[in-house]
Order: sequence, then C-alpha cells, then structure tokens
Amino acid sequence: MFSNRQLIFPTAMLALSVGYLVSALSLGTPIAESGLTPSFFPMLVGAAAILFSSLLILQQLRAPEAPDRPRDAPGHAHLWIVLAIFLYILAFRTLGYLVSSTAFVFALIVLFSSFEKPAQKALIALVVVGLGYVMFQHLFGVRLPTPWG
Amino acid sequence: MDFILLVMNSFGLLLDPLNLAYVVLGFVIGTIFAAIPGLTATLAMALLLPLTYTLNVETALMACASIYMAGMCGGSITATTINIPGAPSSMMTALDGYPMQQQGKGALALGHAAIGSMFGGAVGALLLIAVAPFVAELSLLVKTTGKFSLLAFALIVVVIAQRGRIPQAGLAACIGLMLATVGLDAMEPVTRFTFGNANLTAGVDLMPVIIGTFAIAEILVQARTPSDTTAATAAAGKHKLRRRDFIPPWSDIRRIGFRCYFKSCLIGYFVGTLPGAGGSMGSFLAYTEAVRTSPEPETFGKGNPQGIAASESANNAVCGGAMVPMLTFGIPGDPITAIMLGVLVINGIQPGPQLMSDQAGLIAPMLAALLFSAVVLIPLTLYAIGPYFIRIVSIRKDVLYAVIALLAVVGSYVATYSTFQMFMALAMGVLAFLLRRNGFPVITMLLGYILGPNLEEFLRRSLSLSNGNPLTFLTNPDSLFFVLLTLVFVYFLVIRKPADKAATPDGV
Repeated sequence: MFSNRQLIFPTAMLALSVGYLVSALSLGTPIAESGLTPSFFPMLVGAAAILFSSLLILQQLRAPEAPDRPRDAPGHAHLWIVLAIFLYILAFRTLGYLVSSTAFVFALIVLFSSFEKPAQKALIALVVVGLGYVMFQHLFGVRLPTPWG
Repeated sequence: MDFILLVMNSFGLLLDPLNLAYVVLGFVIGTIFAAIPGLTATLAMALLLPLTYTLNVETALMACASIYMAGMCGGSITATTINIPGAPSSMMTALDGYPMQQQGKGALALGHAAIGSMFGGAVGALLLIAVAPFVAELSLLVKTTGKFSLLAFALIVVVIAQRGRIPQAGLAACIGLMLATVGLDAMEPVTRFTFGNANLTAGVDLMPVIIGTFAIAEILVQARTPSDTTAATAAAGKHKLRRRDFIPPWSDIRRIGFRCYFKSCLIGYFVGTLPGAGGSMGSFLAYTEAVRTSPEPETFGKGNPQGIAASESANNAVCGGAMVPMLTFGIPGDPITAIMLGVLVINGIQPGPQLMSDQAGLIAPMLAALLFSAVVLIPLTLYAIGPYFIRIVSIRKDVLYAVIALLAVVGSYVATYSTFQMFMALAMGVLAFLLRRNGFPVITMLLGYILGPNLEEFLRRSLSLSNGNPLTFLTNPDSLFFVLLTLVFVYFLVIRKPADKAATPDGV
C-alpha cells in the first residue's frame, strides 16, 4: 500500500486530521448546558478532514496510474530556497537588513540561474537590496533591523 | 443614488498626485505580473499587502483595484504574443489571439483585447456601483442562521466548483478552517491549538497566510517547474508591434457587435458574483456563447477578433461582480478579492451591510479607481508600453524571483516587526507548495481560513438561539433560501455533472 508514492501526501493529511481531532477532543465536551463549547466546531472540522483524506486515499488506491504532473526541473532548488529563507530569517535581526538581505538575494539569484558571473550577480544583489532599503525605510517608513540594534 | 454621487466625487481623489501615482504604479505592476507566465496579479497584490500598513486605506484600496483590473487584462499579452496565457483568465483569449499573432496581426489582437477589457471593466464597475448598495440593503434581511447558511453555501460552492478534485478541495478547505481555529476562542476565554506558544494566542495572522500562500509558494513552484519562454519570445519578437497597429478599425468593432460585448460583460459580471468561479470561468462561458450565436462559428480558434472581445470583456467584468459579495457579505469570490478583503480587515474595516452605509466614503474611491483603470489606464497602457510588451516576458527570472522573495519575506516582517511572522509565512509557503504540488486548490484553503471564524460564530449562535435544534437552519426563511441554493448548485455541479470540463476555475 505505501509503495504508492501518491499515497504519501493523503496519508500525511489523514494523520494531521486525526491529530487535530484528538487535540479538539482534549478541549472538552462539544456540548454543555450553556450551548456549544469551543471544541464543537474543531471536532466537526476534524471529522470532515478525516472523511476527505480517507476519500483521497481510497481514490488513490483505486486509481490504476498516477495522474500527470507538471514537468519538474532537475535538482532540489526548492529545498535550497526553503533553507535560504530559513537562514535569512534567522540572520535578519542579528546581521541586520543590509548584510543578510544581500546574501539572501545573491543566493536566490544563484539558485534560479547558476554560479556563473558571481561578481555581476553580487552587484545586482547589492542594487536590489539598496532599492529595497530605500523603498521600505524611506518610502514606507519601516524600521529595518541593523546589527547595532 | 447617494452612493453613486459619492463614487463620482471620489474621482477627485485621483487628482491627488500621490493617489494617482499609486493607482498608475499598481496598474503597471499588475500588468507586468499578469503578463509574465508564472506570475499573477494575486502575487502582486500579496506583495503589496504589507505596504498597506503604511498607506492610508483609500490609497491602498485604490491601488488594489487598479492591480485587479490590470491583472485581468494583462494576461492577454502573452496569451496573444506567445500563446502562453499570463493569467488563467486569458486562456480563451489565446485561442484567437495567437492565430492573429501568427498572421502578423498581433498588435490588432492586443487592441481588441484592450477594447474588450475596457468595455468589460467599465460595465462591471458601473454595475457594481449601481447594484452594491441594493445588495447591501438586502443583506440586512439575513439574520444569524441565514449568515451561517450563506457562508456555508460560499464554502461548499468553492469546493464543488473544483470539478474532478472535490476531495482535495474539501480537505484544503478543512485545513483553512483548522488554521482559523488556532488561538483564543471568539466566545469563551479558551485558547485552542496554540500548544503553549504565546505568539499563536491571537491566532494565525492573515499576512503570513497570504504571503506564504501566494508569494513564497509561487517561488517554490517556479523553482520546480521550468518555464522556458525564450524560443516563443524570440519568435514573437519577429513581429514588430507599432502603436498605430493597436487601434482596431471601427468596422471590426461593428462586426463584433455591441450585443456581443454587452452579453459577455453580463456573463462575466454574474459569474464574478459566484464564489470560486473567477475570470477563467467567465471568459469560457462568454466565449462559448459567442461561438454559439455567431453566424460563422467555424472561424473561432483561427483568429476571430470576436473570440478575443468576448473573452476579455467577460474576464474584466468579473472584477466588478466579484466585489459584490466581498463588500456586502465579506465573501471573496476569488484570490484577489480575498486579499482585498485582507486589506479591509487589516485597516479595521468590516465588510457587510454597514460598510456601504457607514463607511461608504472608504469604499467609493476604490470603485472610482476600478472604473478609472478600465476606461483610462487600459487603453493608455496599451498605447504607451504596448510596443514593449514582449520585452516584459524577457525579464531575467533569477533577479525577478529574488526580488519577489525579498519583498515577501521582509513584507511579512513589516506588520508586526516580528520574525515569528516571517517563520509563519515560510511555514505557510511550504504548506501551500505541498498542497499545490499534490493538486489541492489553495483558494479553498484561503477561503476556509477567511470564512472560518464567522462560520463558527454564526453556527454556535444559531444553535444557542434555537436551544441546539439544527432544524433552525430549515425553519428560518433566509437560511432555508441559502440551503436550497446550495442544493441547486450541488445538483448542477456534482450530481448532474456538466459534460464540459474545459473550463476550470482559476486553478491556484
């Protein structure tokens, strides 16, 4: 059953739905004398989510072939982008907007193209971050973090 | 009548250079985003959302209106020039636009698309201005039970409109509802699903949900899906676009006929009022109707300007239609109106019947900007930057996506100066990416998240008022009306199963 890759996501969704319903049950009884309690609606939602994810799993089990998917680019660029965003957020306050953003924009340009012409790409990153600084800090009055607080 | 006068007076706000600059800038950005395959006006709007904190609400809403209008017509650029619709709503435009481009009449096709968009946008906006106050008054008749049934109707229709993937849509809606239940309960002092994290006590904020769902997820999707338009762009570049070629001859417009334009506008407008239908459904139905009533149906798909006119009139008229339920009931019809709703909520404006009476002054400028965008900016943009349209597609994608990522991540910080919101935006982006990769429509998740709090509140209130009797939803006439309406939609969309599957709602 679990050899079918198409089943992984619906199964994860089913697990999430069950977890949500269990958490909802822990909020208490759904109906009290005063009326419906805060657990009533989440229980309904959890039950509906379990129903839909079960339907999806059944659908996948019955489907003879996997549906067509859009053509994917080779590599794991999307995973690197998630990592880049995660590290950027971590560094944002500590290193400040200018340093962290320049590194982030440079990394994304490289991830969406290649490591060729790094100096040109670094320059583009600097210009983009500079323009972003002017826009956020001066045009929209946003206080961007700096390394000195 | 007072509201119409208010809208007319709001045109004065466009004389303010700052307002005008934001409206024009919004339109240009919306056009660029809609023209580039893979990017959408929804993404442009999501990136603008954090900046609305620093703008006054009228200006922010005016900019949103112009992005919306630009997003609907901008998709026709690449649909015509390289046969890749920049937006799903321009899918039908490509059927006749691209053959015209191949015949060396690309500029003329874009001219027809602009005239159709202008006509559709204007009629949609005028109908909205005329109809919205009446709908708002009617909505006063809807009481608590009716409100629950109406919200349930909207959510159910959005789910069942996703033909062929109803379980995915239903599950996505449930995920949205789950997100909506995080935080402090609206009626009792109980926190839910926060798992001890104080940052979640106030719930999952709208900003990271929108930025994650539409901006970060889009970047991840683009990283996985190559969209090489180089060859098509080079081929299109061979046909030089000259300004004078954009203006369609009067004989062409007469051949298309006022009737075709107007009928397509009405189709688009009414489709727009339905939750989840969107511009692609509107343009598909209008195109089908144009083919059905044409004396020469065999010419469609081979470069008939009537096909372009019908498609573009309808998808731009959708803008006006989709705003009716958003402004009067707080029910967004598509992703863009969902973000516009976010702008309203962020600025403390609650959509609903009172909005049109108590805060009409805030809404009127937005409608004026919508009309202005349709009548003035669509033709002006075509004339001013039309010859350079094809270059828009050639923008360096690596730099573009890096800029979008920067705006998205920093934008999620702007609202609360909190890195927690940035992490939330990333988490939402990853979730939306996984959902999209597995064929789940994220619009239903967003709608579940937006409608969730009211849905729960009205359900609990209705059942409290009726001492827990669920029959209250059938015994109250307003509620019964929406229950029956839901059944009608279920019958037509699920049980009867329409034969045509070509038209799918905007598939985000």
